[in-house]
Amino acid sequence: MMQADQLPVWAALLASALVLLGAGFTVIGAIGLARLQTFYERLHAPTLGTTWGAGGILLGSIVYFTVAQSRPVVHEVLIAAFLTVTTPVSLMLIARAALYRDRAERNPLVPPDDASQETDA
Amino acid sequence: MHDDLLLTLLVLLPFIGSVFAATVSSNARNSEAWLAGAVALSCLILIIAAYPAIVANGAIRSEFDWIPALGLSFSLRMDGFAWMFAVLVSGIGFLVVLYARYYMSPKDPVPRFFSFFLAFMGAMLGVVLSGNLILLVLFWELTSLFSFLLIGYWHHNAAARDGARMALIVTGAGGLALLTGVLLIGHIVGSYDLDRVLASGDAIRSHALYVPTLVLILLGALTKSAQFPFHFWLPNAMAAPTPVSAYLHSATLVKAGVFLLARLWPVFAGTTEWFWLVGLAGTASLLLGAFFAVFQRDLKGLLAYSTISHLGLITMLLSLGSPLGAVAAIFHMMNHATFKASLFMAAGIVDHETGTRDMQKLGGLFRFMPITATLAMVAGAAMAGVPLLNGFLSKEMFFAEAIETHLHSVLDTAEPYAAVVASAFAVTYSIRFIHSVFFGQKPADLPRTPHEPPFWMRFPISFLVIACLIVGILPSVTVGPFLQTAVVAVLGSRTPEYSLAIWHGFNLPLIMSLVALIGGALIYVALKGYLQQCADGPPLFRLLDARRIFDDALVILSWRWARFLETSLTTRRLQPQLRLLVLAALLAALVPLYARGLGPLAAIPSRIDPVLALVWLTGCACAIGAAYQAKYHRLVALMLLGGAGLATCITFVWFSAPDLALTQLLVEIVTTVLILLGLRWLPKRSEAVDEPVTFASRLRRQRDLAIAVAAGVGFAALAFAVMVRPLPDTIASYFLENAYLMGGGRNVVNVILVDFRAFDTLGEITVLGIVALTVFALLRRFRPASDSLGAPEQQRVQNAFDEAQPDRKQGDTVGDYLLVPAATMQWLFPVIIVLAIYLFLRGHDLPGGGFAAGIAMAAAFILQYMAAGTTWVEDRLRILPVNWIGMGLLVALATGAGSWLFDYPFLTSHSQYLQLPLIGSVPAATALLFDLGVLGLVIGATVLMLVALAHQSVRKLRAARLSAAAGEESP
Repeated sequence: MMQADQLPVWAALLASALVLLGAGFTVIGAIGLARLQTFYERLHAPTLGTTWGAGGILLGSIVYFTVAQSRPVVHEVLIAAFLTVTTPVSLMLIARAALYRDRAERNPLVPPDDASQETDA
Repeated sequence: MHDDLLLTLLVLLPFIGSVFAATVSSNARNSEAWLAGAVALSCLILIIAAYPAIVANGAIRSEFDWIPALGLSFSLRMDGFAWMFAVLVSGIGFLVVLYARYYMSPKDPVPRFFSFFLAFMGAMLGVVLSGNLILLVLFWELTSLFSFLLIGYWHHNAAARDGARMALIVTGAGGLALLTGVLLIGHIVGSYDLDRVLASGDAIRSHALYVPTLVLILLGALTKSAQFPFHFWLPNAMAAPTPVSAYLHSATLVKAGVFLLARLWPVFAGTTEWFWLVGLAGTASLLLGAFFAVFQRDLKGLLAYSTISHLGLITMLLSLGSPLGAVAAIFHMMNHATFKASLFMAAGIVDHETGTRDMQKLGGLFRFMPITATLAMVAGAAMAGVPLLNGFLSKEMFFAEAIETHLHSVLDTAEPYAAVVASAFAVTYSIRFIHSVFFGQKPADLPRTPHEPPFWMRFPISFLVIACLIVGILPSVTVGPFLQTAVVAVLGSRTPEYSLAIWHGFNLPLIMSLVALIGGALIYVALKGYLQQCADGPPLFRLLDARRIFDDALVILSWRWARFLETSLTTRRLQPQLRLLVLAALLAALVPLYARGLGPLAAIPSRIDPVLALVWLTGCACAIGAAYQAKYHRLVALMLLGGAGLATCITFVWFSAPDLALTQLLVEIVTTVLILLGLRWLPKRSEAVDEPVTFASRLRRQRDLAIAVAAGVGFAALAFAVMVRPLPDTIASYFLENAYLMGGGRNVVNVILVDFRAFDTLGEITVLGIVALTVFALLRRFRPASDSLGAPEQQRVQNAFDEAQPDRKQGDTVGDYLLVPAATMQWLFPVIIVLAIYLFLRGHDLPGGGFAAGIAMAAAFILQYMAAGTTWVEDRLRILPVNWIGMGLLVALATGAGSWLFDYPFLTSHSQYLQLPLIGSVPAATALLFDLGVLGLVIGATVLMLVALAHQSVRKLRAARLSAAAGEESP
């Protein structure tokens, strides 16, 4: 196993770029979460972190460990898979719960409740 | 070795039989009786086979190390006296089994009966054969316990439950006193070995602690033998099935008391204290028991009081301190056992055949069951002390002893008179027993028509009655030698000359006997009319109900005083309890800190990693936020708590403790789910309707804040101080060095848990199991606050919406909303199972292990509940958490015990590498099996708690349905 400073330059550059890309997207998502005004707008911002953000960091990790250990290391695929399975689902659940609540409270900002549409969900 | 085997077998056989008897199907009366009978008979044969050796050597012994560290040995010892008792216990036990086969109804759950019966017999044999006083106390307590179970056998019956409880309380308290007394003996003598204790009589009698020891031992013996003033439990124990009564009263339970008195007679007897204490109890029981027996309406009640009286007679004989008195006492123990067992069985037959035991309703049964009547008459005559029967012989000896002067005192002078009066009453109640049942008017309104019982039901009575006759007519050639062996075993060199002949000439004892016989008959004639219609119980004393006094005392002790203490010293509110706890912890930390200071702090880190600091900042912010939001926004607080937990988790990883981090993460997940489930049942809080903040409440809050901050900051400071201090040379380095060499695992934490400190872990998982069961039990009786009783508002709105739509049914909305998440959770089920197996298997070498795997599995189960609802899951998946708990404990225990097979101490583990096809070399340690037990238990405990919480909503629905159904019926 190589140490970080023994890595070939191209691999070090690639891994760093990917990690920085991921981290950058995550930061943008976090800033968005803080700055956007309504709940529905805010929903979009963190998705940056769980898609490209996580993806970039995971890819960087794959590159780094594959080169460092001189064998393919792809454990990170599992992390990506679980993220894909869970985060969108929870975001969807949160969004629908919010929508349900707003409709139940007759919030004028959301479209009114339409029962026939709801049933085919 | 031969003796070892025999004695051990004698004690173990009944217990083994008991275990087998418990497993036979519930309607197998015959096989149960065969089993129990075979066990009793084998014991009897073994005991008889040991007789020659006892005559030759005085006693046979067997000794195994039990707890050598405490100087306790499992030592058994059978001398002549123990032999006599063992014959009675097993012989009468056999006869009672035979009788019970016919007595018990096919509807009764017989496995329970015979199982308890055999276990009781084993305990009694243990008492008789113990060669070590501590062992004796152990078996003594077992007899209390099993007699409780036997008396309460018909536990659907309130009288049986009360009687059993009373017997247990009285004899159990006596057993505790006995244990203390035995410990005192051990203190005086320096050994619990019976032989040594018996040899140190003088030392004990002259010791300063003699009187306390004597009182404690007597408390044990007198409660067991139902002697005055502890006699009241025995009549109430009559709610037991008659075979049980026959056994408890004749050869066993109550005889254990007088057995102990006789056993320790050489050590304790002969002093003034002994004479007064034992003599008063004996005389009072003799008189009161006989007097009360006359006025009973219940057949078994009469016999119960007569037992008290006869045991009083034995106690009184022992109190005299004269060797002849002891001989008479031992002889009467034998005789009483034979006739009392047969009388109880006869009473049982009468009850069985007529359906009642009320002597005012019974009568004229001689015509229906002449043989039983004849047998009962002979046994009754033996009880009354009629010549040519065994009761007469011991009663003669009793009279002869009573008129002797032993110690100049009022009691000694009164004893002959008390003896005659009590014997007269004995004659009266014996006549009443016979006359009111078998003669006189044929009863008009019997529940059924009586007839003779089957031959084999009568056989035990016939056998015992014939024994009474033979012993009564030919005492010296039949029981003579055996009695001599028993007496020599107790008295040793002090064995007196005595004669077992029927005719001793026309002397004072004979005159006393005649006076008692005639007087008793006259009393019966005089009282006959009154007894036919009187209320239950003796005149005057009827008002003084010992049972009610006992119950009142219990109520005062366990209810009023307990309640008083509870209300005056405790609170049911959570906040004061928590405040007290935190304050106590604060004090506990402050006092030593104040006294000793913090000590040297060696390695205060000079530079703190900014990333870790940021994690910590976030964690602290989460924790403070959680506390801040806890009052009105519990869900938010819970999320923030999760954040704080994650910060801890990251810290563990940071400091290279992946094992802890993994466990912490899993525990966080399960805890969050648990609290989420619980949130719904917390009473509602709303900012809008809360009471205005007064000055007092503000003060209270500030005080609480101060306490919380002090405790929290203090704890953090303490933890910091401990962590930056140089690591002392602890056992940790030993674990680190030896984990792989000795435990065969590279994960030191896991090796410590399942190997080095496995015994601790065993205790801990046991506690975990108990906690889970307790939580389950508490939640089953959980009554939520009234405002969280109904369905939550959201659920109501959704259900109303669903019901309003023609094509939807209840729960569709939430089902729709959860469609995608539910699918995900269900698909993840196998994935999590694989993860759990993976965590479990790698546990010995890498982070993971049984605990983590168990938590992961539990999370998998609870996800299913969350995804699809309780009903859906339980229709498809049978989770038996209690079985998991039991299996887990058993596996862990069995793994530990397995090392015994290879002559290693409990919980020794063995590890090696296995060559598996395809997978290759796999480390395999027996500790893995132990870990499997941990896994099972953790799964069971966690799932049990989670499911119990999840079931709350289902249970509530059921309650609502019931009330709805009741509402429909009532109009």
